[in-house]
Amino acid sequence: MSGRYQRRSILGEIAGALVLAFLVMPIFAVVPASVNSASFIKIPPEAYSVRWYGQFFGDASWVSALANSAEVAVLATVFSVVIGTSAALGIERLPSALRSIAVGLVLSPLIVPVIMISISLYYVTRSIGLYGTPVGLALSHSLLCLPFVVLNVGVSLKRLDPNLVRAAEGLGAGPWRVFRTVTFPAIVPGLVGGATFAFVTSFDEVVISIFIAGYGAKTLPVKLWEQIRVEFTPVAAVASTVILGLTMVLFVLGRRVTMKKAAAAGTEGAWR
Amino acid sequence: MSTGMHGVSFRQVSKAYGAVTALRPLDLEIRPGEFLTLLGPSGSGKTTLLNIAAGFLDPDGGQVLIGSRDVTVLPPRARNVGMVFQNYALFPHLSVFENVAYGLRVRRVADTELRARVDMALALVQLGEFGKRAINQLSGGQQQRVALARAMVIEPDLLLMDEPLGALDRQLRKHVQLEIRRLHNEKPRTTIYVTHDQEEALVMSDRVAIMRNGRIEQIGTPLELYDRPRNAYIASFLGESNLLPVQVSDVRGGLAGFRGEGCEGGWSLPDDDDLLRPGPALLLARPEAIRPAAEDAPGLEAVVEETVHLGELVATRLRLGTGQMVWMRRMNAPPHALGQRIRIMWDPARARLLPEEKSP
Repeated sequence: MSGRYQRRSILGEIAGALVLAFLVMPIFAVVPASVNSASFIKIPPEAYSVRWYGQFFGDASWVSALANSAEVAVLATVFSVVIGTSAALGIERLPSALRSIAVGLVLSPLIVPVIMISISLYYVTRSIGLYGTPVGLALSHSLLCLPFVVLNVGVSLKRLDPNLVRAAEGLGAGPWRVFRTVTFPAIVPGLVGGATFAFVTSFDEVVISIFIAGYGAKTLPVKLWEQIRVEFTPVAAVASTVILGLTMVLFVLGRRVTMKKAAAAGTEGAWR
Repeated sequence: MSTGMHGVSFRQVSKAYGAVTALRPLDLEIRPGEFLTLLGPSGSGKTTLLNIAAGFLDPDGGQVLIGSRDVTVLPPRARNVGMVFQNYALFPHLSVFENVAYGLRVRRVADTELRARVDMALALVQLGEFGKRAINQLSGGQQQRVALARAMVIEPDLLLMDEPLGALDRQLRKHVQLEIRRLHNEKPRTTIYVTHDQEEALVMSDRVAIMRNGRIEQIGTPLELYDRPRNAYIASFLGESNLLPVQVSDVRGGLAGFRGEGCEGGWSLPDDDDLLRPGPALLLARPEAIRPAAEDAPGLEAVVEETVHLGELVATRLRLGTGQMVWMRRMNAPPHALGQRIRIMWDPARARLLPEEKSP
């Protein structure tokens, strides 16, 4: 009986590994491509070299694109965490009928085709002078980042025992102190999770960016897209690897913090 | 400082949730330093009343006074009320010490005094060594004692407890019951305690208010409620009771005559009884008020169905001629054999006539 179960579970694991490989392998293909010494992309490489990394980090246009990406992503994260957390706190207090409408509104940027959002943002940012600025691009990205923050923080808030808030109020705490000492510690896991998603979403966003980055806020994905239209050099693979690496590091770090905070708070992480 | 020694008054307090009435206009006076328990099944309104006292709920009408201060519209933080929750509601990210210190930090108590008061509160609940622990390192009983210390350390004018022992196992519950009562005896403070556990209510309370359907059915000391229940609901809610259906023939001059299956008698009404009318009624005889009838005296025929030994006590289940089951409880009595036919009578001094009522 248990043997049969074992065999079945091994088969399941193999199937699972294959699915994972199918999902992940194409993404990681850029990594060997970036250490190829040849001046064209070939997988697997015949000879290894890091000379394309040298070229990437030696080229001011790539480095400034990377810096732009980082700046925009940080701004977008800050915007969406502040707005998203406030939104989640407000939504939690709405009567249930209004709550589902509000959640629907917040999620709508994920449903509306991005190309439509991009076109309207193009007009809007031009008319208010934010076109081609990091702030304008970060605000635009926030549209896509917000849902992650609202959802993650919302899950944390749902897990917050309402009696904790009552206990604090009963002990004399005013609204601000209750937020600082009870609500905020409870939503930190959701906040970190939401912030990670927000950063990553903005960092590799390309459609909106193409429309409104202009010259002033040209991000790494935009530069990459432009480069590839001209010539498919291994530098592009390096750029992709940089994006991939940063994204992964952030996810691992974010998850670490989330789990640690969640363990300290005695609750499960909002994001696992 | 008169801390903890304020009375509490509810005046015509009412509350409804949509179409559901949670509290009918209700009056309740709690004396300074009194331990009052609200006892009732879920949905009887006891938790609603507690939350109104704490300020977590606004009443639809009426007033709440702590001492002479009208707190009806004050938020919880302005009431100086300590609350202990059923699920403890301790702050999970703070240490035991910081949980207890929370209310003092809000009140900007200076560091040395704060330290002294928290240490004293923890010592009071016998957790003196646990200050540095994290909450999730404590057992349920310890957590509940931290919650108690946290509520008491702020010297509240009123202490509220919402089924604080509900999540504990039976053994621990008894222990903490006595602990809470000990703390109250050491330093009486006005307390409202909510429970649906009659034993808890009887062990700890100065007075008990039994609630049903959003109103207080009866209020009194545990002994008063046990000895002089106003109706069958109270009688069966507190302790075990045998209720025999009888017919009241007339109520006259403080005396009620009644007749039942195989019995008849008279009962002198207490002064406060204005509920009994001629017609169907119930005769209440607690198991300890039932005894075998003397040889030549009147009695009810009964068959012994079951005997249970509880140490020196023997409880006997008897089936009457009407088919009704009756419990008899006696000290040091020789047990009856199963199936034995005996005749029983109740001690007239310890029996009561109650207005008939369908208990829910």
